[in-house]
Amino acid sequence: MSKMALSLTINGERHDIITEPHRTLLEVLRGDLGLTGTKENCLEAECGVCTVLLDGRAVNSCILFAAQCQGRAVTTIEGLARNGTLDPLQQAFIDHGAVQCGYCIPGMILSAKAFLKEYPDADEGQVREALAGNLCRCTGYQKIADAVLAAARPPAHR
Amino acid sequence: MTTKTMRVVGHSLPRFDAPGKVTGTAVYAADFALPGMLVGKIFRSTEPHARVVAIDVARARAIPGVRAVITAADVPDVRYGGGIKDETVFATDKVRYVGQPVAAVAAVTPEAAEAALASIDVVYDPLPAVLDLDAALAPGASLLHEEWRSYTAIPIFHRDGNVCNRARIVVGDVERGFAEADRIFEHRFRTGMVHQGYTEPRAAVAQWDSSGTVTVWSNTQLPFEVQNTLAEILAIPPSKIRVVVPGIGGGFGGKLRVGVEHVAAFLAKKAGRPVKVLTTSDEELTAAYPRQGTVVELKTGVTKDGRITAKSGRIWFDTGAFAGSGPGVASVATLVLAGPYRIPNLHLEGVAVYTNKTNCGSYRAPSGPQANFAVESQMDVIAEALGLDPLEFRLRNIVREGDEGPTGQVLQAVGLEECLRKAAAAIVWDDRRPGPGRGKGLACGWWTTTGGSSGVYVKINPDGTVALNTGAAEIGTAALTGAAQVLAEELTVDLGDIGVVSADTFSTPFDFGAQGSRTAFAVGNACRAAVTDLKYRIFALAAAQLGVEPAACALADKHVVADGKRISLADLARLSQQTGGGLIAQGTFIAAPTAYDAKRVDGHAYPAFHSPSFHAHAVDLSVDPETGDVTIHRYVVAQDVGFAMNPKAIEGQIEGGVAQGLGQALSEEIVYEGGRVVNANLTDYKMPTTLDVPRVETILVEHPSLVGPYGAKGVGEPPNIEPPATVANAIAAATGLRVSVLPITAEKIALGLRDPGAAVSDSG
Repeated sequence: MSKMALSLTINGERHDIITEPHRTLLEVLRGDLGLTGTKENCLEAECGVCTVLLDGRAVNSCILFAAQCQGRAVTTIEGLARNGTLDPLQQAFIDHGAVQCGYCIPGMILSAKAFLKEYPDADEGQVREALAGNLCRCTGYQKIADAVLAAARPPAHR
Repeated sequence: MTTKTMRVVGHSLPRFDAPGKVTGTAVYAADFALPGMLVGKIFRSTEPHARVVAIDVARARAIPGVRAVITAADVPDVRYGGGIKDETVFATDKVRYVGQPVAAVAAVTPEAAEAALASIDVVYDPLPAVLDLDAALAPGASLLHEEWRSYTAIPIFHRDGNVCNRARIVVGDVERGFAEADRIFEHRFRTGMVHQGYTEPRAAVAQWDSSGTVTVWSNTQLPFEVQNTLAEILAIPPSKIRVVVPGIGGGFGGKLRVGVEHVAAFLAKKAGRPVKVLTTSDEELTAAYPRQGTVVELKTGVTKDGRITAKSGRIWFDTGAFAGSGPGVASVATLVLAGPYRIPNLHLEGVAVYTNKTNCGSYRAPSGPQANFAVESQMDVIAEALGLDPLEFRLRNIVREGDEGPTGQVLQAVGLEECLRKAAAAIVWDDRRPGPGRGKGLACGWWTTTGGSSGVYVKINPDGTVALNTGAAEIGTAALTGAAQVLAEELTVDLGDIGVVSADTFSTPFDFGAQGSRTAFAVGNACRAAVTDLKYRIFALAAAQLGVEPAACALADKHVVADGKRISLADLARLSQQTGGGLIAQGTFIAAPTAYDAKRVDGHAYPAFHSPSFHAHAVDLSVDPETGDVTIHRYVVAQDVGFAMNPKAIEGQIEGGVAQGLGQALSEEIVYEGGRVVNANLTDYKMPTTLDVPRVETILVEHPSLVGPYGAKGVGEPPNIEPPATVANAIAAATGLRVSVLPITAEKIALGLRDPGAAVSDSG
């Protein structure tokens, strides 16, 4: 099968990739780049574990062709911490006990990241609506909602 | 024993593995990769029951990029299985369910592997399929396993054709008990097949080395059991098999047994390259190890004043094409059917039955939700009929300290009454029907802390930190954080000082595995045992250094102190490295057997609950009379955890267990039509989302176990047990409609409200 050259900005760094046109962003991230923080499960955009940010918006990387991301900026969970400091969402997930097996957590955090950027004053109902596409089987979602709300409103800003 | 004096246990400390999980650096089995690794895929049966006339893999083998194609002809002729060895790696003479592995392929790309699957030709000669319990148990039913008598099985199991075990508890004389009753109630219930719903698919990577050893990186909960099963299947010694668990994205019992590990191992051997097999959602919902669907019949006799005099009952498990966990689960079910109640006369049976469906397995509190749904639904019906408050009716019959369990075990640390009263008070039970279409329900139950042995090695590092080496896998429950808390407490170090190596059959000590709510309990106790041994070594060394007697030594704040002198654990560890091979100790634990009356059980694989936990759930919900939609306003759990090792982690277990339980109660079912699953995707298999799960209010009750570390009891499974009954009871309180079939979908409620016979009637 013929291959194509792509240029993607992933976590702030430009990557030149040669790949087949049918390959998904998820396959390129996990396979070609070894960024396995982006998880794989249903492969049909039902579970949300593969969520990444594309130009700041949360997308299911399992149903997105890598070719659709040509010239665009992708943020994965590996790109969220800055200079060794965790993103407030990551820290809140730890502090609030929102992590159990953790397999859904990268996608959950990135969905929350995109949402809070747009709705920093969201209430719990809105947070739950924003995360309804991310399945978690361990936590019952409560501590996840708590963590997202805490990250949205750090104690200093209340 | 109070947490006031504890520095580490009893505190809500963050789990040690959280940073890796929120940054994406934690490696799960599904992430694991090796250079040159091939993609393995499984070719599965399309027939529920058929003779295999011919398998042609020649075209598949010829596809470019395909490195291995294997069938039953390529693997040892071995039958394996837990209690009954009835399963083969690939179908041989016949297929027994849609989804059964018939062949497997390994190829350099997923596309080549898919093309190979599409090129395998199998000719089937269909047989009459046994599609439900009634069909399986009918006289003259087609047999799933004509050769069942020849199978190796645990001798106590009672097997007969399509029945792969009949477990029984008999206490007293039920007929006499029914004669003493003023009223007798008989009900029938049915529950659907449900999936554990872990978000990480089952995964295995296998690689052989030149010495003939195969290493399998897998997300199994039981690496040592998988090692032994692989030894049988591959027909090589266990020492030639190394099972490593890199990380697990949820298991809930679904990743106990060999799933894809054996296929990866055979493909890797044939191809001469590492092979990875990762299941799809379709495979998970058609060919994994879900919870059995059941039918339950209960007959209960009571006096006018609400004392239960006798109970007889039977629960049939639709266990699918192979026995799997069925025979054992059928045993456990009888203890759940008895309930946490004082009943002098019992005759309870659990029956595991073969059908042409996927092989069912274990799911968080196996048999718990199904049997408890029946028991606790009936308790409410009886209370209603007697004009008793359901809480009061339970309080008149529950077990209390020192009572006998159904099989004669003496019950200790029984926190049930406190759980019931606290859950009822929290939900404001006195106001049971707060408005039109709104009602409250409660249910209670009991559960076991599974036994089995655990070993640990504990080593003091030269900087004074501690290495915990355990054979247990961390499946997400934070159980190993709990064990590390025990270790930190006992060694007077911080939780952050403990590093954990786990779940590698080559290098870690044996562990019975992450199952049955046992990990924090058993590994925690093994840590305590290791510290006892370690202290002996540490104090001997310190005494010589400090010029004191070992008996004068104590641990405090990462030091040994004695007679006003002190030396740090770090110094002692360095000293020991120079002189004595380092500070290391082994600790082991196995729960002592729980005494029971063997005359009361028959065919029973699980005759008593070890260090049992007790719990009560309560819910306040509304039902839309038009659509049948259920809205949950509040959900309360009061659980006797013995001792709360890490309260926040336990809350997380309870919240998550309730969420799964609500799925079973209201929306989840693997639906079979004509032997085929019709909803094998995550849109049509409806697991609760953020919008479906309410906040769960958790009340931790602490009646300390005599055995567990600091009094802890098993925590993980129980919260999954009571939600279906709790919700069913509240729906009945809200609407008057008693739904006896799970899941209680909005459709069933809406139809039932129009025609009450519809939802209650049991067609299966």
